[in-house]
Order: sequence, then structure tokens, then C-alpha cells
Amino acid sequence: MSALVVDALTVVFGRFTALDAVSLAVDPGEVRAVIGPNGAGKTTLLDVISGITKPVAGRVTLGDGLDLTQCSEAAIARAGVRRKFQKPSVFPALTVRENLEIGCGPALAPRERPARISSVLGEIGLAPRAAVLAGRLAHGEKQWLEIGMVLAAEPALLLLDEPVAGLSDAETAHTAALIRALRRPDRAILVIEHDMAFVEAVADRVTVLHEGRTLYEGSMRGARGDARVIEVFLGR
Amino acid sequence: MSGTLRTALARQTGPATRALRDPLVAGLVGLCLAAAAALLVAPPAPYLVNALGQLAAFAILAVSLDLVWGYLGILSLGHGLFFAIGGYVCAMHLLAHGAAVTGVLPDFVQFMGWKSLPAYWAGLDHAAYAFLLALAVAGLVAFLFGLASFRSRVNGVYFSIISQALVYVAMLLMYRNDTGLGGNNGMTGFPLLFGWPMGSPGVVTGLAVATLMALAAVLAGARLLVGSAVGRRMLACRDDETRLRTLGYSTTRLKLGIWCLSAMIAALAGILYVPQVGIINPRVLAPDLSIEIAVWVAIGGLGRLGGAVIGAVLVNGLKFWLSAAMPEAWPFILSGLVLLVVLVLPNGLLDLAGLRPTWLRAAR
Amino acid sequence: MADPGRRAILALWSLALACLALPATAAPFDRAALAAALCGDGAAQVRGAEGLVQAGGALPGDDLAFAGRILGALAERRLSCTAEGAVLLDRPGAPEGRDAVTDAVRPAAEARAPVLGLRQRAAVETARGMIGLLTGPDPAARAAGLAVLERRIATVPEAVFDRARDAETDPGLKSTIAGLAQAAALSSADPARRVAAIGAVAASPSGTARARLAALKGDPAYATDPAFRAAVDAGLARVGRAVAIGDALAVVYNGLSFASILFMAAAGLAIIFGLMGVINLAQGEFIMLGAYATYGVQEALRRFAPGLLDLYLVAAIPVAFGAVALVGIVVEALILRHLYRRPLMSLLATWAVSLFLVNLIRVTVGTQNLQFAMPAYVSGGVPLYADFVVTWNRLFAIGFAVVTLALTLLILRRTPLGLDIRAVTQNRDMAACLGLPTRRVDRLAFGLGSGLAGLAGVALCPIYSVNPGMGSGFIIDSFMVVVLGGVGSLAGTLVAALGVGGANVLLEPISGAVAAKVIVLVGIILFLQRRPEGLFAFRRRR
Repeated sequence: MSALVVDALTVVFGRFTALDAVSLAVDPGEVRAVIGPNGAGKTTLLDVISGITKPVAGRVTLGDGLDLTQCSEAAIARAGVRRKFQKPSVFPALTVRENLEIGCGPALAPRERPARISSVLGEIGLAPRAAVLAGRLAHGEKQWLEIGMVLAAEPALLLLDEPVAGLSDAETAHTAALIRALRRPDRAILVIEHDMAFVEAVADRVTVLHEGRTLYEGSMRGARGDARVIEVFLGR
Repeated sequence: MSGTLRTALARQTGPATRALRDPLVAGLVGLCLAAAAALLVAPPAPYLVNALGQLAAFAILAVSLDLVWGYLGILSLGHGLFFAIGGYVCAMHLLAHGAAVTGVLPDFVQFMGWKSLPAYWAGLDHAAYAFLLALAVAGLVAFLFGLASFRSRVNGVYFSIISQALVYVAMLLMYRNDTGLGGNNGMTGFPLLFGWPMGSPGVVTGLAVATLMALAAVLAGARLLVGSAVGRRMLACRDDETRLRTLGYSTTRLKLGIWCLSAMIAALAGILYVPQVGIINPRVLAPDLSIEIAVWVAIGGLGRLGGAVIGAVLVNGLKFWLSAAMPEAWPFILSGLVLLVVLVLPNGLLDLAGLRPTWLRAAR
Repeated sequence: MADPGRRAILALWSLALACLALPATAAPFDRAALAAALCGDGAAQVRGAEGLVQAGGALPGDDLAFAGRILGALAERRLSCTAEGAVLLDRPGAPEGRDAVTDAVRPAAEARAPVLGLRQRAAVETARGMIGLLTGPDPAARAAGLAVLERRIATVPEAVFDRARDAETDPGLKSTIAGLAQAAALSSADPARRVAAIGAVAASPSGTARARLAALKGDPAYATDPAFRAAVDAGLARVGRAVAIGDALAVVYNGLSFASILFMAAAGLAIIFGLMGVINLAQGEFIMLGAYATYGVQEALRRFAPGLLDLYLVAAIPVAFGAVALVGIVVEALILRHLYRRPLMSLLATWAVSLFLVNLIRVTVGTQNLQFAMPAYVSGGVPLYADFVVTWNRLFAIGFAVVTLALTLLILRRTPLGLDIRAVTQNRDMAACLGLPTRRVDRLAFGLGSGLAGLAGVALCPIYSVNPGMGSGFIIDSFMVVVLGGVGSLAGTLVAALGVGGANVLLEPISGAVAAKVIVLVGIILFLQRRPEGLFAFRRRR
């Protein structure tokens, strides 16, 4: 059974069709990368899955059959879906620790939070910075903190929107290692990224979007050899 | 406690202790209690006592707005509505109480040619019922308006403008004479408070002391709230509401709860204010007055409970003094003050004193 | 001679006989009888005056002049009643005067000067009105007489109006008299004339015509004469329908003119809000400045070119636009420029500006309402249908709004500035990347939005009273228009202005002005439940 099924999803902004009957299925334990040029509809896809944008047609279902297009953002999050935004979205007026505390979500009992926070702090490597205000972190640190925030709730489906945008090579490598370490049999991860080396390093399969449609789905190696993908990425 | 130890403690335990470690709020709470005690022991001239009590009521009102604006990012330009609800219900209680004791109907009832108080005034001569009713009505109005707004994600400038329209419409409504609430003359001539004659030195002092204690309680309570886990969620919601929602929190519920709480605190301020000025009329619902509340908070220091208190006391103190001394100049001074604060001191006068802690400065 | 009382009664009899005989043979008018009646008791005075009115249609001019003199003297307390008859004095209480009938000088020292009661005064005024209508030397005097008669139309015989109409030389007055002649014919003694009059009255419907016809339902003939009854019912139905249509047109017209004002007030707000996310709380004061600029233009013309004074509203258009746009640009450059990332603070800042402007005008010009000359093109109106009058001042506002809309659309759609404004409104970052000077665009757009408020001020001058506090009057309505219309859409602003203006005007007669505002606000809040972005808005991605 799939962890996430996107079925014939269509999103329209005014006269612009951002997603045109896009379908995809992600298995539990899989790391799926969605790639495509600017305007392909990648971020819109994540917006629909996380409930920020409502589609005009199509369904998004979780493994247990919950239709996410009918849920509020908070309800989707409580169903085990977490999203890391493209622009690092942390709460600048709160410390790293407080950000992670909120990241634990409303469901986790307050007694269990300190332990969870400590373990996440360790995973993302920000333990020494726990009392620093998030607004004062460096860009890379903010990215990791946000990954930590979405991890703290132990999500079943993790959505990562360009986690290495604007990072140095060393930071990118660190992030790739972090994401590989996040793989679990009961967790599906959906990554949007431009950086092909990074995608190759973390993804099991890739889906290529172009102008709101699915162009290719399969292995990264296969994508590199696909004529249409090459044309879209290199042709123009 | 040594400085280093305190810092270490703060680092270790985080916000919980930080909440209680706000010297400005602690100082203001202490000042309120000390002033209350001083008034009881050696009351100065009644007009001074009265002025102090009124300032304290305005400070409570300012704290209520700072709670939603400074910590939740919701600027209400209609908080005068909740203040007025408290004030009107309190005035109704005072008149009903007076009528019950003296048997003389209030002026406006006689003016309208009615034989008795309107039916919905029943029971308002009981102080506890009136008190609860004021809070309940303010909470209910806030709930309905907040639910409609927050559910459909009306926020930012939109929300401010609609809240301003709300208070404006309420003002038009209260100017009507057939509401049973005094029409454009409002309600005045309160004879008694808990059976004692209004305006006697004891009542004046008692009211001022009660208002100061209420201010201390509201300040301390609000400080505990903003320092708690809920308070951290408020800051999170202010800075990035979508992010908070996608972490599983219902921001609608959070905003609605704090919004209603803020409305009830504003109503409390109204309850305490009206017996001290001895009158309430629809002018308290003028949109300009509601904007002025925001001005107090902005001048004192947004997102800083102590700032709201200082702003309210400073602006209203100046107003008491200047609108008598040079009434022509006051509007110019006020508008100049607003522009100065908005342009030069974005975090209010507390910027001048350098009292703003770094953890809040980063929020802007 | 016999005592005055008996003489009065005799005189009345002869007067009444004369009335009855009038249509056939014009018997000579008994001047002494009238004088005696007016010197009699209250009832005799009323009978005398009313008898005169009844006879008025056929009396020769010199008799009317005589009656006019004696009635005038009575009304002004210059009539003295001696045992020998009525004496006209030069001034009240004079020791002697001239005999009313013979014009001989007679003492009047001991005599009684009758005082008119309310009922008597009304009868005397009616009679004097009739004499004024029939013998007035100029149209103004005749129109004044007509106005008096119109108030008591049921007591005036149609012969009076027929005669006045035939003699009238002024065409406007002649048609007014003709209308009243019809109304007077409603109480004619001749049933055929009455039915004809009902048809004639119903042919030019108005609220007054409806009231006149409705009054006939109480007439004895309504119960007894089926033809009369049918005519009244048919006439009432026809007039009622027409008046309802006329009233509906009037509501639409008023709604349209209110919406025009709202649109002009809100258009500038909407452009600024769409572009910068700033609601300018001083927009109402900018409108006020526009009105004061108009006043300045008027006063300048009055002093330097009085011949062109009537054109001050036209001359004020560029002045008000330019002056207020300049104020807006200064406000933007000094204040708002620093606040684009803090829209809530910009609310407070613009409020401070409004407070400043109101008090500046208060201190420098004063708090009183300004007096505006009303040129012909904004005063009066033309009755179009039933009670619906197209008033020029409101038409001026509507036309002004239409022209403003056209010009604004032209600027937004056809000029480089408009293109820049639309680009920055839709995607500020992208526009900046493309090298647009977004700061300059902001400033010019703020000037444009402020200038539009100035134009609204010009349009308001002939309709509303102009004083320093005028801005707050309808500004909240225009905020609602912006909220309802959606961000940065002139079409939305227009539709929302029509909606809010129309709803206000429609609901006002039903539920009262306050309840109308409450209903509109609640309606807007409920509407936002379904469409939080307003009527017309871009859907944006986060």
C-alpha cells in the first residue's frame, strides 16, 4: 500500500493552470524527489498536500485513506504530514529549543517533550545553539532547525521544499546525510530540489514535472537518459 | 542571585523563568500595589486619586490591546467596543442599583416617558450578575466577530479596518434613543456604589485602589500567559501563522481564545472606568478613541506589557494636563508623538530607555 | 341706520345671492356688504372672505382692488369699524382714515379694530392670495398669490384658476396655474367636470396628485355616484403605479449618486492598498482638502475674475487634484516610505496625518461650514417622472465619478505609469527584478490615489456641507468598499461601491439609516466568509 497517493490533481490560479491532472504514488520508506524547471508546479504540489492550496479537481490520500484535500492544514499536520518550506520558516522570536518544542506538535504530552527535543537537537547538530534566538541563526542553521521542527513530531510523510537551496557544498553534504539518516520503513519523504547531485544522493525514484504535467517517473538514471527530460532541462 | 548564575539558569530552563524575570513588569506590579497601599494609608486630594484610578483603567485597556497586537499581530481598531460594553453594563448596574435603593428612576427613563426600567435590565442591580454579564457580553461579541474573521482568515489591515467599522456601527446604534441605554446623552448621575454615595472620598479611594489592584493582577496574569507555552505559540502565530498551522496547531482557536480574553480584559477596564468618571455615552465608541488605544501601546512599546502601561499613563497624563492647559495644541502634539514613535522609535519609548530585551527585538 | 350686526347679515345674504347668480349674470358687487361682513364677528368675517373667493372668478378688477385694500387693512390691523361703517387707516391706531366705501375722510378714534383669529386669518389670506393671483402686477406677485391658494386648493373654485390661467402671460406660471385649475376642478359642482378633472390630474402623477385623489374617497359623491367612484379608483391606481415607479427611480438615482461619491473616495484607497498594502486613514481628510481647495479656487475667482465665478467647480478640478496629490506625495516621501514592511504601523501614521490635517484646517480656516456659490449647473433639477426629480448636483457627482473612472482606467491601462502600477501590484519582487523603480512607482501611485480623493472633494462641494470634520463622515463606508471590492481591482471597487451605496439607500427607508449600516457591515462580514479576498482579487501563491 502506498504512503501517499496523488490522483489526477488539478490546480488553477485565475487563468493559469499550475497543476494539470498530476498523479503520483509514494511508497512507505521511499525517498521520492520531484524535479522540474521553474513554474513546473512543484511547490504548488506541496501546497496542496499540506492543505495551503485547495485543488479544483483530484484527490490526495494518505495511506490510511484520509483525503487531505478536505482537511485543514492543522488536521493534515496532525495526521502525520510535515512540510519544510523553501524559504526557511522558523519563528525568529523564539529560541531554537522553543521552536523545536512547538515542532513537537500539540499531541505530544509535555512530559515527553524534553527527551524528544534533546534527541532532535542531537540529530540536527544544533545542541550547542539551543538557547539562541532562531532569528539570529545563520541561513544553513535555519534550514536544519526547520528540518528539526518537522522531525520533532516524527512524521509519517515528510515534505521537503528545496532543503539545500542557497547552502554551501559542505552544508549540502551535511543535509544529504541528514536526510538519508531520516529514512525509516514507516516514513515516506517527498523532496523538491533543483540540485541533481543532491537528488541522486538521496532519492530512490524521481518524478519530473513540466508545465503542470508529469513528464517522467522512475529512477534518476532513467531520467538522465529520457529524451523529453533532456529537452526540458537542456533544450531551452 | 549573581548575574552569571541567573543567565545560566535562564539558559537551562528557558522561557518559563524568563517570563517571571521581566523587571519592568515586576516593577510596575510592585508600583501598582505600593500606590494602592499608599492611597489607603494617606490619600491625597480626591481629584488626584480619581485621576490615578482613571489612568490605571486606561492602562488595563492598553494591556488588553497589547496582548492581541503585540503578541498575536492582530491590530484591533475597535477595542473601544469592548471597553464600552463593560462601561455600559456597569452604568446600567449603578443606575439599577440606585433605582432599587432610592426608588427614583434614572433621568433618561423619565425622559423617554417610561414607567420602569426596560425588561432586560432585570437583575442588573446585583453587582455580581452585572459583572459577569459585562464579561460575558464582551466575550460573546468578540467570539462572534473573531470567529467570522479568523475562520475566513481575515487578518492584517483587513481585520483592523473591519474592527473599526464594527465600533463605528456600534456608535451609531448607541446614538439612538430607543435602545434603553440613554441614547446620545448616555447614562450619568449614578447615585450609589454598593450603597455608598458616589463621589464620597471613601468611594473614590476605593475605586482607585481596586483599579490599581486589577491592573497589577492583569499585568501579572498577562505576563504569565505570554511567558507560557501558549505565549510562545502566540509569538509563533504572529510571525508565521501558516508555519504554525502546518505544524498541527489550530491558529483559529488560539487567536479566538486570546481575542476573547483580550476583549474581556478591555471590558474589565470599562467596568472600572465608568464609576470613576461618572458618565458613559456613545462618544466612547468613536473610532478615533479606539485608534488612540493603539497609539498608547505603540508609543509605550509594542509587544511589551510594561510598554503598554507606560504608554497609556504617559499619553493620558499628558492629555489630562494639556487638553486643559492648551487644548488647541494637544492634537498636534499627539500626531507628532505618533509620527515620532512610528518613524524614529519603532518599538516605542522603551527604545529610548534601552529596556527592550534582545529576544523581542529580533521579532521585527 | 340699523345696527352693524343686521347690516352684516343683510350684506351676506346679498353676497350669497350674488354668488349663486354669478355664472349667469354678473350682478354688481356690493362693496358695503363686504365691508360690513369684515367688521362683523368671526363667523361673519370668514363668510365674507370665503364669499369673496367664491365670487372671485367673475369680479371686475376694480372690485377686486377694493377687496384687496380692505382685506389688506384688516390683516394689518388698519381697519377700523365705526357705527357708520369700515374706515381704512394709514397706520394701526391712527385717529382718522378714509371710509372704505366712499373714500371720505372720517374720524376713527373711538372705533373698534377687529383682530383676526387663526381661522379668520386663513380665510382672509386665501382671499388675498386670490386677489394677488388675479390682479398682481408682476409674475412674482401672482406666483405668491398662487402659492397661498395652492395650500387651500379645496376651498377655491375652479373659475378663479380658469380666469387666472387665461389672463396669465408668463408661460411657466401659466402651466402651474393650469395644473392647479385641474386640481380645483376636482371639487367642481359639475360632475362631468369633476370626472374630467380626475383624468387630467391622474395624467400628471405625483405624490400630491395621489393625495388629492385619495381625498375624494371621502367625498359624498364617491358613495353615491358609481361613475365618479370608478373614475377615482382608476385614477388612484394609475397615479399609485406611476408614483411607485417614480420613487423607485429616485431610489436608484440616489443610490447611484451615493455610490459615485463612495467610488471616488474608495478608488484612490484601493489603488494605494493594492499597491502597498497600506490603508490610508487620512483619505477622508484628503477629500476634505480637495473641498477646501475648491473653496480657495472659488474665492480667488470671486476676487480676480468675478465673471468666471460660475465655472469655479470646473476650474477647481486640476487645482484640487494637483494640490492633494502633492500633499499625498509629501506624506509618502516623509512618512509612509519607511513603513511598507509594517502595514499596521502605517495605519497609525496615516491616522496621525489625518488628526494633524483636521486640526490644521480648524486652526487656520475655522470650524464653520464653507459657503459655496451654486451655479445653475448644480442647482435645481428637472422633474422627470412622477415625483422623480433629476437634481443637477447629484447628476454632477455621478458624471464626475464616471469621468474619474474613465480617466483612472485610462491612466492604469494606457500609460507607462499605469503599466508600472499594475506590474508592481501583481508582483512587487518580480517588477523590482525587471528594473522597475518600485519606490518611484509607489510615490506616483500614492499621488494619484490622493489626487482622486481631491477630486471626490470637488464633487462633494455642491452636495455635502464642507467643514474640517467632513472626512470622517463617509470614510468608513469607503473602507468597506475597499474590503469588499478586493485588493487592487478598480472593477471590484466600482461594483462594491454600487453595492454598498445601493444597499445603504435601499435599506434606509425600510429599516432606518443606522440599521442599514449595521446590515451592510454584517453582510460584508458574512460575504468575506465565502470570499476572504473580496469580490475581485488575484489568487496568489504563498
